[in-house]
Amino acid sequence: MSSHADAPAAPDKYLVGYFVEDDEIVAATKASRQAGLPIYDCYTPFPVHGLEAAQGLPRSWMTYACFLLALTGFLSSMFLQSYTQAIETPMWSGWPLNVGGKPFWPLTAFVPVLFELAVLFAGVGTALTLLAFLRLYPGQKPKFTLPGTTDDRFAIVLDTGASGFDENKAREVFGRHGASEISWVAPNR
Amino acid sequence: MSAPASHLRQPLVLGNPAYAQITNDVLKPMETLPSKLWWATFAVTASWLAIGLVAIGWQQYEGIGTWGLNKTIGWGFDITNFVFWVGIGHAGTLISAILFLFRQKWRTSINRSAEAMTLFAVICAALFPLIHMGRPWFGALWFIPAPNLRGPLWTNFRSPLIWDFFAISTYFTISAVFWYIGLIPDLATVRDRAKHPIRKAIYSALSLGWSGANKHWVHYETVYMLLAGLSTPLVLSVHTIVSTDFATSVIPGWHTTIFPPYFVAGAIFSGFAMVLTLLLIARKVMNIEHLITIKHLENMCLIITATGMMVGLAYMTEFFIAWYSGSNYEGFTFVNRAFGPMGWSYWIMFSCNVISPQVFWFKKARTNVVVIFVMSIVVNIGMWFERFVIIVTSLHRDYLPSSWAMYSPTWVEFTTLLGTFGLFFSAFLVFTRVLPAIAIAEVKSIKKFAQPKAHTAHGDDHAAGGVPGLAHAPAAPEKGV
Repeated sequence: MSSHADAPAAPDKYLVGYFVEDDEIVAATKASRQAGLPIYDCYTPFPVHGLEAAQGLPRSWMTYACFLLALTGFLSSMFLQSYTQAIETPMWSGWPLNVGGKPFWPLTAFVPVLFELAVLFAGVGTALTLLAFLRLYPGQKPKFTLPGTTDDRFAIVLDTGASGFDENKAREVFGRHGASEISWVAPNR
Repeated sequence: MSAPASHLRQPLVLGNPAYAQITNDVLKPMETLPSKLWWATFAVTASWLAIGLVAIGWQQYEGIGTWGLNKTIGWGFDITNFVFWVGIGHAGTLISAILFLFRQKWRTSINRSAEAMTLFAVICAALFPLIHMGRPWFGALWFIPAPNLRGPLWTNFRSPLIWDFFAISTYFTISAVFWYIGLIPDLATVRDRAKHPIRKAIYSALSLGWSGANKHWVHYETVYMLLAGLSTPLVLSVHTIVSTDFATSVIPGWHTTIFPPYFVAGAIFSGFAMVLTLLLIARKVMNIEHLITIKHLENMCLIITATGMMVGLAYMTEFFIAWYSGSNYEGFTFVNRAFGPMGWSYWIMFSCNVISPQVFWFKKARTNVVVIFVMSIVVNIGMWFERFVIIVTSLHRDYLPSSWAMYSPTWVEFTTLLGTFGLFFSAFLVFTRVLPAIAIAEVKSIKKFAQPKAHTAHGDDHAAGGVPGLAHAPAAPEKGV
């Protein structure tokens, strides 16, 4: 989320165009971007395909986080199992236990727990990364109150403080793409 | 994928309702007081739960000597129920994760409730290993990999029982995370409609300030897909590991390499049957028959027939290998399983799981809700008996004829099983009251799928997303569905 502290001259209001169909908002977003209007964000009741491209958003980096977390889980599990089952040094030992003469470090027998802990770390970790990065937590409020955007309306919010903002042009673009309502909104905090 | 206004593909949502209508339909049961039917059902299931709690309490007080187990048959109802309930859970993950990765859009109406079912089933399952220790307050601690009161002695990671502990706890955790992440947008919808301040406060906290911002959706959908990708091998691993509890032993009838795939297929088979049982009731009671359509039920019936034949193949392969191995003990165990004193349980299993699902070859049968409902119960009975057959008939006549024994479960075991059904159904009933039982955002995103009218203006577009005029970014999977 970008900060708006660097736009002092702007009134603390954002221009919102509401649409009732998903294809309208995709077309309107595309047109707004081509017209050079600064899009703060789009708000939709469900993920609209193609909107991220229209808005020019990059691919999510969460996949890399997930891989690193899976690797962490895998290595932790390898350490846990190797240390507790097989490591014996004068200073720092697990407790190698002879069970029926089976090998102390049978890699195949470790596979299930290696896999499970890799998945556990990756799944829980990625979900927490998502919530932390998007700053979603109990007590958090949405930035704007945009009626209907979690139900049946799609909204484009324009950043009035950013360069390139032109109210008349914005109203014209929104109107051309079938906006059902155009209004101003102030952020919630 | 075919053209959108296909004559072959049926719409996934009937009647092409408006977006707001979908929200209203799904949330109506949450925003009105429960019906008399709901209360009546809940009273029944809650009393089952109460009976089960009494049984568990008595068994904890008196000891597991109250069960019908003996020296020969050391595992009976306890582990049968455990494997049964874990298997039930598998369909939820299959629907939410595997069908997601395979782009099966029909899953969207049923995934939420199937995932809820997974969680409740895994809770029921986890109860049994816990109580079968007799003194769970010791037993549970022994599984945790930490130096314990017996000196710096660690758990034995070469034991399948430890694998099982890790598999089940990971499975529960990841299923819960996947479920909750999926719920966040819908919880925000509930929050924005809430009128009562307490209700609003609760759902505000639960929805974590979700706003539907597209910058959030982009990451959200990637994480959702990653969780699906993680859950898919996870669900296969869980029943594989459960099967190694048996397969790594040297008991004839258990010591077979076919167990992992056989158990996974059986788990999906029984899980889908349980999903059908629940959804057939839910769609009727909640008036959501246009969201969970006959097509959904039909698809699940086809999966049941396919997996039913897989387990059928496994039953026959086991017999063949028992003979082909030339091992007298294997051969005896299998002949005894089908024709011994407990042969009746084998034939219940075989007829419920292999013969009866063949009825779904007929379209009339798999589109008739009464037939489907009866079949879903039959399959669940069959799959419970499958685990019973594997566990009890393999144990009751072992190498030494002098130690042969029979197993007769006691009232404590029956009522504990009843109690888990009570827990499962009560939890599901409460779930339909307090959380959106259908993934609202996901259903909205597939609303236009194969709807004849919605696509006339741009008929050549991709059917799935309902986003005309824009090609999918090649890297973007079909998200949100």
